[in-house]
Amino acid sequence: MLYLAVRMARHRIAGLIAVACATLGGASLVAAIGVVAESGLRGHPEPGRLASADVVVSAPQTYRVPEDLPITLPERAGVPVGTIARLAALPGVTAAIGDVTIGAAVIGTDGRVTPVDGHNWSSLTLTSGTAPADSTSTSPAASTGASPAADPSPTASQAADPAQTGNPAQTGGTEDGGRPTGVPDGADEVALDTATARAAGVTTGGTVRISAAGSIADYRVTAVLDDAGPGAWFADQAAITLSGRTENRVDLVALRTEPGRADEVADAARALGGGLAVTTGDARGDIADPATAAGRSMLPLMAGSLSGVTLLVIGIIVGGALAVSFSGQRRELALLRAVGATPRQIRRLATRQALIVAAVSAVPGAVAGYALAGRFRELLVALGMAPAGLPLQWSPLPGLAAVLLMTLTAWIAALCAVATISRMPATEAVAGSRAEPRTPSAWRFSSGLVVLAGANALAVTPMLARNEAGAAMTAMAGILAAVGLALSGPGLLSLAGRVMARLLPSRAAASTWLAVANTRGYAVRTAAAVSTLAVAVVFTLTYALTQTTVLAGSTRDLADGTHAQLAVTAPALGRVPSELAGAVARVPGVTGAALVGGTTVIWTYSMLGDPVVEAASAMVLDPAAASVFDLGIRDGDLSGLTGATIAVDAGAARARNAGVGDTIDLALGDGTPVQARIVATYERGLGFGPVIVSRDLAAGHATGLDQRLLVATSGDAAVAAAVSELAAARPGVVAGPADPGSASVSPELWLNVAVLGVLLGYLLLGIANKLITATAQRRDEITLLRLAGATPAQIRAMLRREAALIWTFATAGGVGLAVLPLVFLSLGFLGRPWPAGPWWLGPAVVGVVGLIAFLSIELPGRRVLRTTSVTI
Amino acid sequence: MIPTLTTTAVTLEHVSKIYPGGVHALNDVSLAVEAGTFLAVMGPSGSGKSTLMHCAAGLDTPSSGKTFIEGTEISHLNETKRTILRRGRVGFIFQQYNLLPSLSVADNITLPLRLAGVAPDHAWVRTLVERVGLADRLHRRPSELSGGQQQRVAVARALVTRPAVVFADEPTGALDLRTAREVLDLLRTLVDELGQTVVMVTHDPGAAARADLALVMADGRIADSIPHPAAAVLARRLTELETE
Ligand SMILES: Nc1ncnc2c1ncn2[C@@H]1O[C@H](COP(=O)(O)OP(=O)(O)OP(=O)(O)O)[C@@H](O)[C@H]1O
Ligand SMILES: [Mg+2]
Repeated sequence: MLYLAVRMARHRIAGLIAVACATLGGASLVAAIGVVAESGLRGHPEPGRLASADVVVSAPQTYRVPEDLPITLPERAGVPVGTIARLAALPGVTAAIGDVTIGAAVIGTDGRVTPVDGHNWSSLTLTSGTAPADSTSTSPAASTGASPAADPSPTASQAADPAQTGNPAQTGGTEDGGRPTGVPDGADEVALDTATARAAGVTTGGTVRISAAGSIADYRVTAVLDDAGPGAWFADQAAITLSGRTENRVDLVALRTEPGRADEVADAARALGGGLAVTTGDARGDIADPATAAGRSMLPLMAGSLSGVTLLVIGIIVGGALAVSFSGQRRELALLRAVGATPRQIRRLATRQALIVAAVSAVPGAVAGYALAGRFRELLVALGMAPAGLPLQWSPLPGLAAVLLMTLTAWIAALCAVATISRMPATEAVAGSRAEPRTPSAWRFSSGLVVLAGANALAVTPMLARNEAGAAMTAMAGILAAVGLALSGPGLLSLAGRVMARLLPSRAAASTWLAVANTRGYAVRTAAAVSTLAVAVVFTLTYALTQTTVLAGSTRDLADGTHAQLAVTAPALGRVPSELAGAVARVPGVTGAALVGGTTVIWTYSMLGDPVVEAASAMVLDPAAASVFDLGIRDGDLSGLTGATIAVDAGAARARNAGVGDTIDLALGDGTPVQARIVATYERGLGFGPVIVSRDLAAGHATGLDQRLLVATSGDAAVAAAVSELAAARPGVVAGPADPGSASVSPELWLNVAVLGVLLGYLLLGIANKLITATAQRRDEITLLRLAGATPAQIRAMLRREAALIWTFATAGGVGLAVLPLVFLSLGFLGRPWPAGPWWLGPAVVGVVGLIAFLSIELPGRRVLRTTSVTI
Repeated sequence: MIPTLTTTAVTLEHVSKIYPGGVHALNDVSLAVEAGTFLAVMGPSGSGKSTLMHCAAGLDTPSSGKTFIEGTEISHLNETKRTILRRGRVGFIFQQYNLLPSLSVADNITLPLRLAGVAPDHAWVRTLVERVGLADRLHRRPSELSGGQQQRVAVARALVTRPAVVFADEPTGALDLRTAREVLDLLRTLVDELGQTVVMVTHDPGAAARADLALVMADGRIADSIPHPAAAVLARRLTELETE
């Protein structure tokens, strides 16, 4: 059988080359995706400052969702200060170091702003290699995160006493009448590294202005450290206060252990309980860099859906190419049947051809995939889909998986393609002529129509749910419509052919008449080309225009809902100084000023009795927001947005059965569970997001507070100038026009569009290949026509008219199926029946489809004509 | 018998055909087929019968020599011109009926007319359809017909343009005895009643015996020309040639 399969395959090399190319490309894609997925699964960012810690204890950075993957939390919840002492007391621990990191910026005397990470003094040991001298402390050098004042009896660690006299890193010395310097002690003291100190133009004992967590203050420089990494070190308690947490917490606790006892200590730390996460080894990188870790956890999910789509498309292409190839081998296969091969043997023969080709070509494909993985990662990083700090993991697994998956895909596709042929009667080998059934399966036709109707019913959703989930239904409807079209295509086409044949004038050119007759007579063959091309049209239109329309809708929401003319930002400081809001509001002519930030909330609600957990990005606002935003308040108002309160999109509230006055359970971005009261519901959720959190509630749980200060004015230029002046007085703060402009294009969108583009290209290539092979296999038919007296020109005209019919039907079908979903979507999101998006998209798609239809019929047709002799 | 002025439907003058690879399929063959006669061509396999027919019908061009249909030289015409002349003046019947599977019986029969852009002469089409006995199957597809029926559709198609000559290459090769006789009867009556010229290649001496003249080919030449042949004579001659 294998021998036969190889022998027969050699004569159908063209069709099988298409299979080889598809599996080659598919394997390299899957392997590249696999490498990135594995890196997301197993790779960890560099541990950075935590490299010197043997065990890291932190709050869990995941939010557990029952029966689903946990949500990775973007914010840090922190560890109670009291825990440090308990950890230090564990046997084998040589040091327990509490660490707090705050976004800060040093403002030089010349007004230059240098962003720098702020830390607590105790954490200096993490980077300097030497424990900080703490000679002023009444406590032993316990390196605990808690200052003596906050924690009067910190348990000593079993660290060797690090209070050596001379820390060579310190260039402080003693000044100020013998008071030991070097250690920042009060809330107004800081130690800087050499580079930062030089940038700020200060030396030990001098005063430096620092913006930390939204407040600007002057600090006395107690030390300039030359062997620490860049940073600003505050007194322990000062750092905790600056971090904004209401409880006394540090970000994490780093443990040093006696050599070889790290695992033992980790187990003991876990046994302490308290819901803490204990991390060792490479995984420390995840704790050091939660943003990268959060990005990393996205990768396997994304890879799953990407490779799923890839496999599906490759399956379709391989199936199509094999179906064409098999129908070319029909005679041979039928002869085999006639001489006694069972359908099972035929199937095996056919699948083995595919298996050999797929296996052979998938191997170099997978190898190429490894080379591609780096590029793929770069693309993802550029799109913001993958964290830049994540190294790739190399293992044979993705390559193996790619080869296996491609072979499996090819095998399944081959089984589907050969299913009908293997069951054909053996008599076909001797039959003089072969034709498709005159009427395509009625069952297939009617079920296709039902799916089409369902697709259009589904497309109504965006009219009811004006959010991204609703919009997703439009693309979904497009996919369903494509399935419906594929099912009902042959039936529809033979119907259309019958109508056309009747309408065709009896004096129509022979080539036109033949083209119509072929479309009708080979409805199944033609429908395959028509519906695949139509699918390309439907996909492109619904998918692309859904994205652009939703984007236009949310941009419009933002534009209509933003009354501010000016925006004050502080990119270098990381946060707009909060006192600025009041100062700006007092400028005459300013009608409103509100601080705007962003975070993530996790909302658990019950849908049909089951708990549903959803993470949503949320704006952080305070009651002043009412003066710069018009959210389209449906109920309640924003003046109550203080304390534990939220405002909710009206649609989202309705879906969750919640209203103004209700108190709901939320988890904040760091996983902290809170109860929040709904004070308002609003209409413009598309632009402003489903949830708005009060600034009071988010404080201490979010790092993205006060990103912008939006200012509404009377419109007077003098007012704008006054505001700019106020801003300019503060280094690092800039005022500019408020540009509600466009909602940001999410990186997922770009990725989706890019992937869709690649796959669409692939799909179109697949169709082209199918048409080319199918045309090349019409040699017999063309010979017959030539024998019956058709001139080459007539045959060419016939083929061209067939291409025109395919083009027309594909365009009509594709556009026809896309129209209704897009109209519903546009009505729902824009209040007008046509979508937003580039006008050229439609014509471009139709043009490309036309080009493919014509070229892939014309070129092989010419070849067949050139090489066909009329003799039989 | 009063001598009548006969015209030649097909003429070959010193026609040779050398296939690539140096096979001399036809070797200086000259031949004239009178209009209204039934010519049978016989000979061992590979003797050049099909090649002769292809050259005579203008399906293929000879390597040297000239061929004429009703006095028009076709051997020097280009592909398109030959096609146009062929579809008007020549009809074909093949062993494998060669019908277009996607077209109905009626559409298959009128296909040459459509290709020529000529409106079908409905009376003539009806006459043909009745003569070949397919009047009740006009809307079937070829795959829904028996072999004999399909061959009769091919006969009707070959005749629909009122060609000067019908070439048939082993038209009964795929048919059972009874059906084969029916098709032969059909061809014979076409010659007798309509004055149709028919050139038929066959291996069956019985079939060749229905012709007015039988040519026996060997090695690309016409070895014998036997008027009003008897099946037994032909059979003997063929056996001689095959054992030579
Ligand atoms: N296309 C071709 N290329 C090369 N040689 C050919 C070609 N067609 C026919 N021949 C050769 O020309 C010679 C005559 O072939 P032809 O088909 O005319 O024989 P035939 O008398 O019809 O035989 P049969 O009775 O088997 O059909 C044979 O030797 C054959 O091998
Ligand atoms: Mg022959």
